[in-house]
Amino acid sequence: MSTEATIRNYILENYLFTDDQSALNSTDSFLDKGILDSTGILEVIYFLEDEFGIKVEDTEMVPENLDSVDNIVSFIAKKRQ
Amino acid sequence: MKPAPATLVDRFRESAASHADSLAIADSANRVSYRQLSELVDKVCSYLLSSGLQKGDRIAMVVANSAEYAGIFYGIWAAGGVTVALNTQAKARDILNWVGHSDARWLFIDRDHPEREAVAEAGSGFTLVDVGAGEADAVKDHGVSWQTLLECDAAAPKIELQRSDLASIIYTSGTTGHPKGVTLSHGNLCANIESILAYLELSAGDSILNVLPFYYSYGNSILHTHLTIGAALILENSLLYPHRVMAKMAEEAVSGFSGVPSTFALLLSRVNLEDYDLSKLRYITQAGGAMAPALADRLTTALPHTELFIMYGQTEASARLTYLPPSMLDEKRGSIGKAIANTTIEVRNKAGEVAPPGETGEICAHGDNIMQGYWKDKEKTDQVLKDGWLYTGDLAHTDSDGYLYIDGRSSDMIKSGANRISPKEIEEVIQEIADVQEVAVVGSPDELLGEVIKAYVVPKKGSDLKQMTIQHHCKQNLAIYKIPKSIEFIDELPKTASGKIQKFLLK
Repeated sequence: MSTEATIRNYILENYLFTDDQSALNSTDSFLDKGILDSTGILEVIYFLEDEFGIKVEDTEMVPENLDSVDNIVSFIAKKRQ
Repeated sequence: MKPAPATLVDRFRESAASHADSLAIADSANRVSYRQLSELVDKVCSYLLSSGLQKGDRIAMVVANSAEYAGIFYGIWAAGGVTVALNTQAKARDILNWVGHSDARWLFIDRDHPEREAVAEAGSGFTLVDVGAGEADAVKDHGVSWQTLLECDAAAPKIELQRSDLASIIYTSGTTGHPKGVTLSHGNLCANIESILAYLELSAGDSILNVLPFYYSYGNSILHTHLTIGAALILENSLLYPHRVMAKMAEEAVSGFSGVPSTFALLLSRVNLEDYDLSKLRYITQAGGAMAPALADRLTTALPHTELFIMYGQTEASARLTYLPPSMLDEKRGSIGKAIANTTIEVRNKAGEVAPPGETGEICAHGDNIMQGYWKDKEKTDQVLKDGWLYTGDLAHTDSDGYLYIDGRSSDMIKSGANRISPKEIEEVIQEIADVQEVAVVGSPDELLGEVIKAYVVPKKGSDLKQMTIQHHCKQNLAIYKIPKSIEFIDELPKTASGKIQKFLLK
């Protein structure tokens, strides 16, 4: 499964509670759409660290890296370089 | 000597006149001075009066923390109305339930609120005002645009208010049949704000970075303490990205910060406070549930020059009931302190007598800050207000010096982060799913949030009910913080011989 699909499915299953792919656009802001709260974002970080073997530094916890599926995909790619 | 202002509106007008050019509120869009905020207050007041508001009418609002929130809130009061500030995370069904229960004649709602269209389509009997919307965006046949309101005359007539007049209804739960609306008079709120101002020693030179929602009593008290003293509110509406919050605290050189235990747990877990210049941070307040002494230790160690005020309260007490002075933090570890000024507190046993030190009883409170009752619910009011005393449902004991220590709660309300949640609300929603036979919702211990929501579900025989189905239904109908974190399917719920669910066996 692609990085994008893995992240998208995780968000859909755990925060939107659906497998309907149309329920989430890749550019949807998790904050603006009320998809995640402050503990949800921590859970997402733990998931990313487990799933992709990366370490999310505290200073990397910013919307540019984490606020949408697209942002996370770019962030993971950058971390893997 | 000039008498003290009778209401918070009078206090606000005085501070706006004295500090007209000072910053009142900085939100994500604007930096608003007291003069500008005062003008908005007058415009809201003019609009409501010219639209036929009668003194005591209820006006609901679903508005995120912003300068507009403050302008609308004080504008409603200035016009003699009663504010009904609703949870901005609520779904349309709860919003309409509360609007209907309070008989609100107007509903101010953020133009971009995700439930706006559903509320506009299904609601009736009230005028909807779109906050932040232009004329062309007003909801057809149902709405008034923000622009219409802004074009109102800023010279609003002054409406006389008494301290006994109803000021606000704050809903603490949204169960379909019996929403609980705490009614607070102008006198209740003014008395409580005066007590808080005294112990925090707030002045016009103070500024706070606020992350707490104004629709809850804790955030509500922060709004009023600052706006009635000429101090500044810097708003940050989410803790999702703690670094952003800390950067803003440093950049704005704020003197105050308030949170619930999970706020501080989150900040300390993801942020190195030493990385930020917080030299101007004079004080921190903590309320909204017991904070572990170890967490308080970590805070005071990280911020040695900052005073930490541990506080306790309830919406039914306007906000605040007790506080522990920072100087007593070490000596009275784990205590919520003593009663604030103008409030008397007793710990009473089941016989209604004052419990001796060390014995657990119920916290009972008396004072000018205690609510008038629950809106349109005499039965519930009579259960908690007896002979002028509020029975809080919180269990505590005192030490030999009279300092209070919380021991638990006598009700089954769930306390998760800043939220007090009625399990019944969630049970009602889950019970709507056809394949659910029975459900019981409890708070399950959580390191970060204090408690998280857990639902025990008995599925109907032969059904193929999935956890995701239940959570999806909750997501559609409940605010995000009310969605159960975990769901356990069981064959039957533990019950007494008389059929009452034994929730203590499920925790």
